[in-house]
Amino acid sequence: MKSSIIKAAGVASILTLTVGGLTACSSDSTSGSGSAEGDGKVKEVEVWTWAAGYDEAAKAFNASHDDIQIKYTQIEPGNKGGYDKVRNSITAGNAPCLAQVGYETLPSFVAEGNVVDVTEFASADKGLYAPAGWAGVTVGDKVYGAPQDQGPMVLFYNKTVFEANGVAVPTTWDEYQAAGEQLKAAGVKLTGTYEDYDYSGFAWQAGAPWYEIKDGAWSITPDSPENLDVADYWQGLIDADLIGAGIWSDEWSAGLGDGSIATIVGAAWFSGILKDSAAASAGDWAVAELPQWEAGDAKTGNVGGSLSAVLKGCDDPEAAWTVANWLSTDPGSVDALIEGGGVYPASLAGLESDLLTSGDDYFGGQVVADVFKTASGQVNEDWAWGPGVSTLVGTLATGMKQAYAKEGGATVATALTGAREATESELKQQGIAVNE
Amino acid sequence: MTTSLTSAAPPPVETKRTAATPPRRPRSRTSRYAIWFVGPFVVLFVGMYVAPILFALYKSLFRIQRDALGLGGTQEIFDPLFNYAYALGDEKFISSIGRVLLFGVVQVPVMLVLALGIALLIDSASARAKGFFRLSSFAPYAVPTVVSALMWSFLYSPTNGPVNQVLEVFGISINFLSQDLALWAVANVVTWGWTGYNMIIIYAALQGVPGEVLEAAKLDGASPWRTAWSIKIPLVRPAILLTTIFSIIGSAQLYNEPFVLKQSTGAIDASYTPIMAAQASLQSANYPYAAAQSVLLAVGVAVLSVLFFRLTSRRSS
Repeated sequence: MKSSIIKAAGVASILTLTVGGLTACSSDSTSGSGSAEGDGKVKEVEVWTWAAGYDEAAKAFNASHDDIQIKYTQIEPGNKGGYDKVRNSITAGNAPCLAQVGYETLPSFVAEGNVVDVTEFASADKGLYAPAGWAGVTVGDKVYGAPQDQGPMVLFYNKTVFEANGVAVPTTWDEYQAAGEQLKAAGVKLTGTYEDYDYSGFAWQAGAPWYEIKDGAWSITPDSPENLDVADYWQGLIDADLIGAGIWSDEWSAGLGDGSIATIVGAAWFSGILKDSAAASAGDWAVAELPQWEAGDAKTGNVGGSLSAVLKGCDDPEAAWTVANWLSTDPGSVDALIEGGGVYPASLAGLESDLLTSGDDYFGGQVVADVFKTASGQVNEDWAWGPGVSTLVGTLATGMKQAYAKEGGATVATALTGAREATESELKQQGIAVNE
Repeated sequence: MTTSLTSAAPPPVETKRTAATPPRRPRSRTSRYAIWFVGPFVVLFVGMYVAPILFALYKSLFRIQRDALGLGGTQEIFDPLFNYAYALGDEKFISSIGRVLLFGVVQVPVMLVLALGIALLIDSASARAKGFFRLSSFAPYAVPTVVSALMWSFLYSPTNGPVNQVLEVFGISINFLSQDLALWAVANVVTWGWTGYNMIIIYAALQGVPGEVLEAAKLDGASPWRTAWSIKIPLVRPAILLTTIFSIIGSAQLYNEPFVLKQSTGAIDASYTPIMAAQASLQSANYPYAAAQSVLLAVGVAVLSVLFFRLTSRRSS
């Protein structure tokens, strides 16, 4: 008798627990009132972002506007659950009008039909933004939101460690590897690992695309011949034992702080990460332009950067655009975002901010924003993301971790191939045409 | 046994009263009262469990269809078997199921033997400081799994981790999160977290073992070991079965621990366990496929559990 009760309870709980687990994920958005509510009175535009500083910017907007008011909510960063929350809220029909979306993820949102085309309101303001930013918000020939920030790539290096070991600042990738060999002799790792988007920046700089449209279908090309050249270079650094702890790990932060990891090759926004992760080494670090494949070139890549995207279900896209455009271009708003989240703005007005012309104490007084500004003008323009990015980059990260750990014959090249295969099968599953 | 006897005893006073009044009214009044008592549960149960399950089942019958370039929005087309057929041919999903099966076959017995052992030790007549041991072995369960996984990922760390720093003295270095060991590293975290929980359930059942039975065993000269094996364990069998079924379900839902450890190793990928695989489908915005994966997992666990009950009840009868 007892066991039959247990049996019934068991079966019931199995069903509820396992299937309930799925649906619980899709019903966790709490904020009820969705989008702009316009009936002649004050319109409310709901905004969800993860970058710090938006709360201040939203307050400033509300103080200076009577007709539109922002209702602001901070969410988790996109890949840490923020995108899930946004997607779930769209599915549930209570999405905000605006949400922060990474440039790399926008094509996926477009593919899912989760964003609204605002070209008709936005196109007049195109001139307010840096070209890289405008390219980020454009998919096909349609615009889906306002560029917020960008991530032109530069070289962060520990000047104190470089000088102590007589290492010159590298200007080409060959010199970068040579610097690594010098540092290795002193027991210092050249850099940490680059596993997902951080790695994509190298391909971006090299002009080796991952997504191309050919004959009305997608070609997924992270392991194209040009990409394998880049992969060979990084494999060389791995084989020579020049690469240290995994990016974002505690060891990585510790290494940046104690001088045992000497460089970061990454987007401008790494300046903020560096200040947080390696506060101890303030004054040691400096910024230089990205090493080049050919001496004398001046090309760089971009990692990250995001827009305020107008989401499906927004009943006043025009008001949403007004808010998004103001948040990106108003000097006070941009300053709040620079101070709060260390963002590197995508609007031309933002790039003129006073906060970006003064020397930075963390970098020994260097005006790092000058280096960033130069880099932002040198970002390679022929790069486009496509659908299925999260699978591509997620699979790549797993493979790259194996390659850095030198496990089971994994290399950078096999990681890239694995990422391509996973992406192709996902796109095909959803009926998207793929060139093989 | 005793409980079922008392609850089955008829309430004689009640029947006399109903005989005096018209037969129908009280029954309908009782059922009206019953609605008030059962209603809240039913509403919540249907709203929070049954409806979402039905919705997931319904969703799983659709196929995501995008246009050739996938930039024109999404259509969901009714194609009942598509997602299920795809899941059964999805190498990653199938191997994630194989992985948790292997995990369960090894981890569940290890954990339950540990839990039973600790429960018997604390329950034994000669145990000292029972409260302390009960609390300290239960304490890991109070740590949220995400936190414990983060803690273990630090302990496992090949360079900074204290375990490897100690091993280094002997010239040994173990990469706990390598391809070969990662699953067992996860199993260790789960065992650490859940042994105490299962121990408490079994321990509570041990408290229900009648004192006279134990006394009789003692009088007959049974050793403590013999008492545990032949009296206590058979009497707490229902509790052991219950913890087993909970553990089987828990293994099938393995998520937090591998998800956190994934940050530190390439040996754990985005579809390492079935729930992680379903979550990965959500991330690529393929809700119907995620629903189908969840349904398959639920059916699999239900079948396993029923089989388990069949097996164990046949042996007992």
